[in-house]
Amino acid sequence: MSRKLKRTLIAWAVLSPLVVLTLFPFAVMLITALKPATEVLSPHWVPSRLAWENFATMWSATNFGTAMWNSVYVGVLSTAIAIAVSIPFAYALNRYRFAGKGFLRQFLLVSQMLSPIVLVIGLFRLAAAMGLVDNVNSVVFVYGAFAIAFTVWMLQSYFATIPRDLEEAAWLEGASHTSALIRVFLPLAVPAITVTAIFAFINAWNEFVIALTMLRRAESYTLPIQIFSLVAGRYAVEWHHVMAASLVATLPVAVVFAWLQRYLVKGLGVGAVK
Amino acid sequence: MKRAAAPLAPYALVLPGFLLAAFIVLWPLWQLGVISISEVNRFGQLRGSAGTENFIAVFTDPDFLGALWRTGLWTIDIVLGALAVSFPVAMVLHQDFYGRGIARVIVMLPWAISITMTAIVWRWALNGESGMLNSGLKHLGIIDTNVQWLAQAATAFPVQILIGILVTVPFTVTIFLGGLSSINDDIYEAARLEGSSAWQTFRRITFPLMQPFVNIAVVLNTIYVFNSFPIIWATTQGGPANSTDILVTYLYKLGFRYGKLGEASALSLMMFGLLLAFTLLYVYLAAREARE
Repeated sequence: MSRKLKRTLIAWAVLSPLVVLTLFPFAVMLITALKPATEVLSPHWVPSRLAWENFATMWSATNFGTAMWNSVYVGVLSTAIAIAVSIPFAYALNRYRFAGKGFLRQFLLVSQMLSPIVLVIGLFRLAAAMGLVDNVNSVVFVYGAFAIAFTVWMLQSYFATIPRDLEEAAWLEGASHTSALIRVFLPLAVPAITVTAIFAFINAWNEFVIALTMLRRAESYTLPIQIFSLVAGRYAVEWHHVMAASLVATLPVAVVFAWLQRYLVKGLGVGAVK
Repeated sequence: MKRAAAPLAPYALVLPGFLLAAFIVLWPLWQLGVISISEVNRFGQLRGSAGTENFIAVFTDPDFLGALWRTGLWTIDIVLGALAVSFPVAMVLHQDFYGRGIARVIVMLPWAISITMTAIVWRWALNGESGMLNSGLKHLGIIDTNVQWLAQAATAFPVQILIGILVTVPFTVTIFLGGLSSINDDIYEAARLEGSSAWQTFRRITFPLMQPFVNIAVVLNTIYVFNSFPIIWATTQGGPANSTDILVTYLYKLGFRYGKLGEASALSLMMFGLLLAFTLLYVYLAAREARE
């Protein structure tokens, strides 16, 4: 037996308990979503047929369209707010020398760690003071503002990799700082901005506790709250609908996340600890 | 670095983002401060000063003490559990073997899914009558009667901790993989030439060099796990009879279910303080690593 083959056997043997535990909920989700309604409550693994119609009936039964629209609305607008103020913030941190820069970095690092949950009562009062309780815009504002620490941090770590020479060349040719920024720097920063925006969007898409607090009417629910409301405090749960809804709400985002995950690790500087 | 052509330019660029990011933390914090020392009704109207009454009320509530104890268990168990699982997993994933790409994707998978959804799926999988876990375990002959996993604290809380460990592993493994790849191969080569055994190499080289990464993982995970709300809320909502509440779920109930806004604000402030202490520890550790 070759060394690599032996290593492979040991590796998979060590990983197998974790692999089983990780894949188990996905198998449950997929199988339940595809079981015919009459078989959902009997816990056998293989459905008698694949009930693709569950996805169609789920859509209307769970009011999925409205919730998805709310999630898209909240995700896009909050990301746009965060990115709009973070680009100049991150650019300044990267390209200028000024008093207070160290403080700003510490401020970002600390506020990135603060979870909104300990502030949730104050945030609710904020929404009340702005007259936005039960309004998705309250969630847009809170997500947008909370995302800033993360988006600035990600952006500035990527901006640091964009060489200065090109901007400097543009100044020498008489371009103003502003036009050098817009014409030369921003086009180079588009990939970094895109990746950062996608992560901010995913965070907003998945967020639970703020939405649970601020949104009280079914019409304003985002997807996590809508799906949770199908489960919590109900006697008869339509589990095949719940699992189909979870699958549709989760899968596209999960694929994008898995694809871009390495940029998150790089951008957050988790690897840069070394 | 740009010359000071326009000395105020960086401040103008930073200002909107800074104001917004500071406002969203400081305004609610100030509100919490005001409410926590006030007499307040369930609709949030302030009715005069309460001194330290709200803080004392929190500490004398037996439900608080239970939640506090459980938060300690929850945080320590998940952080250490994730550490114990992630270290060997990262060591394995760092090696070259057939199917490593797939193995990495599977291990990272829980990170890509919202924790709320994961918890809802587990709630269904753990269902006493129709859950697939009971049916799977029965098939394997491990149990012969259905276990009501989430209906009793004795099984619900350990299961929630296990789910917590599962969703914490991917991030922890990522940190450790970063650490392992930062260790220079020459050191291993030298150790091999000196005739060091695999165990000696691990104990004398890998483990000490990984220490900073372990520190960072412990501090970051402690912060995340301490704040983790969806796993418990989406499986049991802290029930049955508040027996699986941790501080964050207890706080939520206090504020939004029982309408005790004064006590909830007092608790929030104390938790904020604790969190801030941990965050400063993280900043200190990160800065120390950056210097070295």
